[in-house]
Amino acid sequence: MIPAITPVRENRSIHHFKASQLPVYIILVLWCLVSIFPLVWMLGTALKPVEEPIGGLNSMIPHVPTLENFAKVATLLPLARNTLNSAVIATVSTLITVFLCALAGFAFAKYNFPGKNFLFILLIGTMMIPPEAGIVPTFIIMRYLGWINTYWSLIIPRAATAIGIFYMRQYITSFPTEIMEQARLDGCSEFRIFWNLVLPVVSPALAAWATLAFIARWNDFMYPLLFMTSKDMYTLMVAISKLPVSESLSTPWPVIMAGSVFAVFPLILIYLVLQRFQVSGLQLGAVKG
Amino acid sequence: MAKNGLLQRIWKSRIVYLFISPFYILFLIFGLFPLLWSFYLTFQDWNGLSPMTPIGLGNYTALLRDSTFFEALSNTALYWVVDIVFILALALIFASLLHNVWLKGAKVFTVALFLPYVTATVAVGLVFNMIFDFNSGLINSILRSLNTLAVPWLNSTQFSKIPVMVLNIWRAMPWYMLIIFSGLQAINPEYFEAATVDGANAIQKLFYITIPSLAPILFFCFLTETIESFRIFTEPYIMTAGGPGSSSLSIVLYLYRNGFEIFKMGYASTIAYALTFILLVISASQTFLLRKQGTMVEENPQ
Repeated sequence: MIPAITPVRENRSIHHFKASQLPVYIILVLWCLVSIFPLVWMLGTALKPVEEPIGGLNSMIPHVPTLENFAKVATLLPLARNTLNSAVIATVSTLITVFLCALAGFAFAKYNFPGKNFLFILLIGTMMIPPEAGIVPTFIIMRYLGWINTYWSLIIPRAATAIGIFYMRQYITSFPTEIMEQARLDGCSEFRIFWNLVLPVVSPALAAWATLAFIARWNDFMYPLLFMTSKDMYTLMVAISKLPVSESLSTPWPVIMAGSVFAVFPLILIYLVLQRFQVSGLQLGAVKG
Repeated sequence: MAKNGLLQRIWKSRIVYLFISPFYILFLIFGLFPLLWSFYLTFQDWNGLSPMTPIGLGNYTALLRDSTFFEALSNTALYWVVDIVFILALALIFASLLHNVWLKGAKVFTVALFLPYVTATVAVGLVFNMIFDFNSGLINSILRSLNTLAVPWLNSTQFSKIPVMVLNIWRAMPWYMLIIFSGLQAINPEYFEAATVDGANAIQKLFYITIPSLAPILFFCFLTETIESFRIFTEPYIMTAGGPGSSSLSIVLYLYRNGFEIFKMGYASTIAYALTFILLVISASQTFLLRKQGTMVEENPQ
């Protein structure tokens, strides 16, 4: 698919700018502003001394930028610990979910086995059931397992997801079967075929899925809100959701925004580094779907 | 003999079953088992600690008489309709704009437009709370400078759903934009070239090439966003806490309140089942409609 996309990109350079194209650029730039504005607002407010007025557009840029709001947040929350919780949970569950989804996607893409169709339809069917349907018993199960206030409660239940398996299957289907047969003749086990031959080839899809899984886990809210009950075990999202009212006082906006910056900007930086995998990988996946 | 053959085939594929087993094991423990248990709980009065009291259909009759539940249901349905229309329309528009071959900086635009999806709903919800604030919010300060009346966005039953919708649309649109964009990449560019040669304008191309070619992807988007918007929780939780009154309450937020704030776990399970039932009816009817339409399209050329 990459060879098919490349010529399109090359074509771009031979087209010259036309006045009729201007509205497209204007609309895109405007919506980019809509997309970025809340983040700029967040950062601007976070850098503002608590006394400065907030509100109008002209107050967006702090007159006397300060970092004291960040220090203030750190006194209200165990911020380092919350960040560590979010980072560990997002990283570990992303690694596990990418591995398990790729493995199952490989199995569905490349093998025939009794009950395959039924199991696959079952897999797709599970996507139609909202996870909230069993949320009350899930909480009881977590309590029974002693997983409340532990990372397990957030990592294990969604270690393998239907959508991830579906996506990886779409992608791995095009892996040449002849290579697998050759490897088998050479005495390769099925798992080694997966690990040594398939995984390297599908690494763009793995990176794409990893990016999306990481975003989803980092931003996750309802499960951590339910399963993490002590301040030290809160993820960043739960911690900042409690910011507006802390110590039964209402927190000033700049301090809340400083907390939000901690929750949002690390992920944005990671995304900006990884985005090339994500866009190209997702394209490939969908094209083959 | 045939049975032996099947068992033999299953045994031969044991490694493959091992590969797919994690999902099914986790689904049994954290999906199916809670789902069935939840159904059992709908017939119980239970606070999660003391012994359960079986109350037959008590939770169901209470649900049908619960005006707060119906308000949450109608709010959620409204979120669904408004959000899906805006999200899919905007996603289609921006995906099509990004797909223009002559567009320079497409990559930069794509990354910038995708940013909302990367940001946490909780954090942006707090920013939007600030922007929609009655006294010091940006929107009202702009309205005041235009000599228009300030609007109590977050504190009136009339307007409180709007900030929730805006946040949801803002954050979810880029995801569908990216899916539709990748679908557009798969359409044979010759269709567009031929249409351009024949003098078709952008709107005609949209309705005669883009939308028909994207039908399966658009259907996928419609179905997943339907499920997602019926599950809306974080936006009303963080922005309005479902209020004022229950004017912005969603089904899942009401479920959460019942189950984990006032510990009516049987009743919360009943709400969860109502949600599941509604979603299954909607997905089934959507799939049915598409099948019907699909066969019509197939039959037409003959």
